[in-house]
Amino acid sequence: MALCLSLLVCAPACRRDAEAPPAAPAPKQSARATLAEVKGAVSVKRATGDEWLAAVNGTVLYDDDKLRTERGGAAELRFPSGTVVVVSEDTLLGIAETRAAPGRPQADVTVLRGAVDATLDRPANQSLTVGTPAATVRAGREIVFQ
Amino acid sequence: MSPVLSAALALLVSASTSVPPAGDAVVRPGESLAQLAARTLGSEGAGPELLAFNHLAGAPAAGTPVQVPGPERARAIAAIGSARSAIGQAPAGSARTEAEARLAEAESLLARARYAEAAAQADGAWKLLADAREERSHFAVAVEPDGRTRVAVREGVPVRVEAQGRTRAVRAGETLTVVRGEPPGTPQVDSPGGATGPAEPPILISPEPGLKLALEPAPGGLGPVRFAWKPMPDAVGYVLELAGPRKQTVRSAQPMVTVPGLPAGKYRWTVRAVLPDGSLGPSATRAVQLVPGRIKLEVKETPWQ
Repeated sequence: MALCLSLLVCAPACRRDAEAPPAAPAPKQSARATLAEVKGAVSVKRATGDEWLAAVNGTVLYDDDKLRTERGGAAELRFPSGTVVVVSEDTLLGIAETRAAPGRPQADVTVLRGAVDATLDRPANQSLTVGTPAATVRAGREIVFQ
Repeated sequence: MSPVLSAALALLVSASTSVPPAGDAVVRPGESLAQLAARTLGSEGAGPELLAFNHLAGAPAAGTPVQVPGPERARAIAAIGSARSAIGQAPAGSARTEAEARLAEAESLLARARYAEAAAQADGAWKLLADAREERSHFAVAVEPDGRTRVAVREGVPVRVEAQGRTRAVRAGETLTVVRGEPPGTPQVDSPGGATGPAEPPILISPEPGLKLALEPAPGGLGPVRFAWKPMPDAVGYVLELAGPRKQTVRSAQPMVTVPGLPAGKYRWTVRAVLPDGSLGPSATRAVQLVPGRIKLEVKETPWQ
């Protein structure tokens, strides 16, 4: 009985993983950023998947997705607020990781390796939090009403 | 050659190659409006402007004296140049669109020889973008292979860096490095133009990126492994960091390090220049894989010349 119940619970999720197109957005998540100016080898790993998939301009990123650029690769993350984050080559980052380390605030972007360059055109009305293994960097307005 | 003749020749050369100062000029026989504009204003396309300045309806005949505008034109052109440059560097947006419209108006006024108004419009375009630029926040975050974080603020309002419960503000023109597990230290003021050292990372030469290197057994694993990069003029030495099956840091005065042997596996090797003040410059990183074996080299003739 317990086995049947667990199968019933698991089945929709498993079927969703198996049938969902690789680049499809994760369900019940809001879009965090959109990729633009993709150059060279740039790939995305969905929060719900295990595969690294080639990214293209217009790819939408959601909570806990990962982005990776190889040597010679680059891309721009464009946030709905207008904030632009340029991702350098040889960089690995996470998008709005919901499983931040204990005591660490949630970041819009978590850079695990490599470098990013961020521009806020209207910092009085925008904010960006960049997490790294060593620090949390906050830019723009202290509190931004969603 | 006598000094007098030299001076006369210099005057002749100057007159034929540069724009004369403000004042009068006389149309030469056979000289077209474009040629006259090039001679007097330095631009073949400035004929209509010259006509407007002299209140002429058409190309003047040979022998006609014409007035050449003075410093007011130079000021308008300089203002238009500044505005054009600012627009070229500005991000797309409403400020840029408005500045482009003002620049177009300034250019139109210049063509009608209304120099003061042209300069004012161009100045307005430049100021529009300058004001907008002051509001921007622009910063970079880099994570080194050892986990250190470098935050550099290029322009705009300060950013706040938090680590280990402590927060530091980093202002425009400052860089802060945070070591993993430590609170942020004191931001360093960036030297203008990178006067204290290279702003660029070293250019790595060998091993090639992502190379699978087949090596023979050697003390410590496989080897020897030679790491090389281009020398940097401001460097007093270099630091090579190896991350992989064996972690190792090597300091070298030369732009190369030969490691006798390393355990097989995948490595990331990072090089930084040691600057005259003892600090380390930006890093460059590559991956290499060491596997046991012997490389067989076959060199074939190529049809390419």
